[in-house]
Amino acid sequence: MRSRLLATGATLVLLGAGLTACSASSGSGSDGPVTLDFWGWGVGYEDVIEEWNDANPDIQVKHTDAGGGDESSAKLLTASRAGNAPDLALVEFTTLPAMIVADVPLDITEYVSDIDDAFTSGTWDQTRFDGAVFGIPQDVGPMALTYREDRLAELGIPVPTTWEEFGAAARAVKEKDPNSVLTSLPASELGFYAGVAAQAGSQWWSIEDGVWTVGIADEASLEVADFFEALVRDGAISTEPLLTPEYNAKLNEGTMLSWPAGIWAGGVFYGVAPDTAGKWAMSPLPQWTPGDTKVAYQGGSGMIVTKGSEHPEEAAEFAKWFNASDEGNKLLLDSRQVYPASSIGQEMAAESEPPALMPQQTDFYQTAADISSETIPVTWGPNVNLAKSVFEDQLNKAIADGTPWRDAFAATQKAVVDDMKKSGYEVAND
Amino acid sequence: MTTSDLAPIEASVASAPRRGGRPTTGRRSGVRLAPYLFAGPAVVLYVVFMLIPVLYAIWLSLRAYRLQAGGTFGRRVEVFVGLENYVAVLSDPELLASFGRLAIYGLIAVPLTLGLALLFALLLDVPAVRAKRFSRTAIFIPYAVPGVVAALMWGFMYLPSTSPFSYLTEQAGWGPIPFLTGSGLFGSLANIAIWGGVGFNMIIIYTSLRGIPDELYEAARLDGANELQIALRVKIPLVGPAILLTTVFALIGTLQLYGEPMTLKPMTNDISQTWAPLMTIYRDAFLTDNLPAAAASSTILALGTVALSLLILGIVNRKRFGARS
Repeated sequence: MRSRLLATGATLVLLGAGLTACSASSGSGSDGPVTLDFWGWGVGYEDVIEEWNDANPDIQVKHTDAGGGDESSAKLLTASRAGNAPDLALVEFTTLPAMIVADVPLDITEYVSDIDDAFTSGTWDQTRFDGAVFGIPQDVGPMALTYREDRLAELGIPVPTTWEEFGAAARAVKEKDPNSVLTSLPASELGFYAGVAAQAGSQWWSIEDGVWTVGIADEASLEVADFFEALVRDGAISTEPLLTPEYNAKLNEGTMLSWPAGIWAGGVFYGVAPDTAGKWAMSPLPQWTPGDTKVAYQGGSGMIVTKGSEHPEEAAEFAKWFNASDEGNKLLLDSRQVYPASSIGQEMAAESEPPALMPQQTDFYQTAADISSETIPVTWGPNVNLAKSVFEDQLNKAIADGTPWRDAFAATQKAVVDDMKKSGYEVAND
Repeated sequence: MTTSDLAPIEASVASAPRRGGRPTTGRRSGVRLAPYLFAGPAVVLYVVFMLIPVLYAIWLSLRAYRLQAGGTFGRRVEVFVGLENYVAVLSDPELLASFGRLAIYGLIAVPLTLGLALLFALLLDVPAVRAKRFSRTAIFIPYAVPGVVAALMWGFMYLPSTSPFSYLTEQAGWGPIPFLTGSGLFGSLANIAIWGGVGFNMIIIYTSLRGIPDELYEAARLDGANELQIALRVKIPLVGPAILLTTVFALIGTLQLYGEPMTLKPMTNDISQTWAPLMTIYRDAFLTDNLPAAAASSTILALGTVALSLLILGIVNRKRFGARS
């Protein structure tokens, strides 16, 4: 029994060693085919790899699913420290800065000059810092509102275009059908709260001349906190965890009416409530100021070439083909089933069929393209995962104890600033 | 043991190489080598999979990732920071709070698990009881269900819309039972441990009961004791060591609580990422990229567990020693 406990420490340590087996990158460089290891999560890689490998006998790619965003990045850090990182990896935009300070991704600016036009400047900013490109964007999640078209119509509630209308809609839902709720926005959704705070003009992280500023508790963010706190306190919206059996049951019953999130939300819902297809629709995310059109990204990822790769040029070649070529984007849409980050991919999407959850919304991808044309550039800090963890615990505590959400935002800011100062960053906050 | 007892063994060991046709000079070294060869594999495995990882974890706990200039944002490199991680871990009020939560959980789970295990073991040991083998297996089966599966299964039974219990209370007009919110959480988590742990502990105590010689029962019956008195006066005192063993197991199991809260976490907002000490260690190691802090917490938790086990054994031994003298 005691040994099991001691083994906990041992497991942490041995993890790095265990990963060695996964990433034996071979190839002697000058002659013979090169083999690239690639870590990525999600579906549909078989088609991608097959198509590339058939066309490029000299650059063979081997795909490994190393777990979703969080797990994959933790493993990537460990493998990288142990000198066993794959040549290529998919990394969430939120964790890319943490990867950069851990010296995982290679600066690939020299390899990507020929695909400068493939992405909008706002999209490049997700992987480009101070002019240095550390990854090629793959998919993006511009924020939108995915909602039950039939239920809102039945209750006579118009689709909200501003957050004020959203609040009014939430209260109206409660009044007209107490069993239903407009949405649930739990504390685990740091990405959502960061996104709507960015809409309100806040920058949760920003860097200038090497000095960081953290704005999780700036005035704009605190007002956002007040707004959602009031809705939760009145019982107009819920904070129950997402995608639990409980939540999924409500989706299927038609008592959970919307999810403001990345435009990928429809795909997630289709996975847990396929029978409700045709009853949903997607519209632009509500705005703080009527008439505004800007939204932030929630989610999205890019492909990096690791510093340890022996074949960075070939690796960058594959990443460019996968994310910036016609062929690659077709695969991203059809096989990977993500919303491509590239302009050609989004144009391609505009002509394709709407997603399975809303087959009746023929202008889905046109709306998506309109939304993505104007996004707010968001800088993620080097310790987003810490922020996520503290934010979730603090906000849940505030909700449970009935203390102000402002305090939870302030506590998160303090923890983030303290951690950055301890690590040695220059931070402008007190 | 006297020298004469040892003599035959020594002689037989010594004679082995001679039979193999070795020169007599190898006799002594052969005697010395054999124990090392037998112990070798175990020692190597222990060193490779226990000692080195433990020492590495301790070494890691004295280090931290710190920023150095260079690149766009700077680079985090590993540096030696002495006991800084220990200071940070020990001064974190959340650690103390998580031990407090474990204490509440333990106060519910441990006595109930052991009490029920003892009760079932004693009932199974009553001569008149029928279908013993079936009952024993039925009580033991939950232990065979993997912890994560058990936690998921109970999770479904706790969530208001899928819970059969909440369905009944809702039909009665009382609303759902708050299994996963507030203080209801402690009982719900403890219930999973009790459900899974009773069978295992029962088998240990029952095995110990079967080892009690029948003469003692006979003597007790001749003295006029009934089954209840035999259970209270004869059986329980004699299975004391087994109860002590299961208590130590249960307490260590409590300190290592991880799977159940981790599995239930996605279903409720009331389980934080630092709810139990092992969850904090997981978070530090795998989510916030702070392996050194995780190593420091692991070391503290390991030392604490050893200390607690020794303390309990010490108290019990002193008591027994005191009772005898």
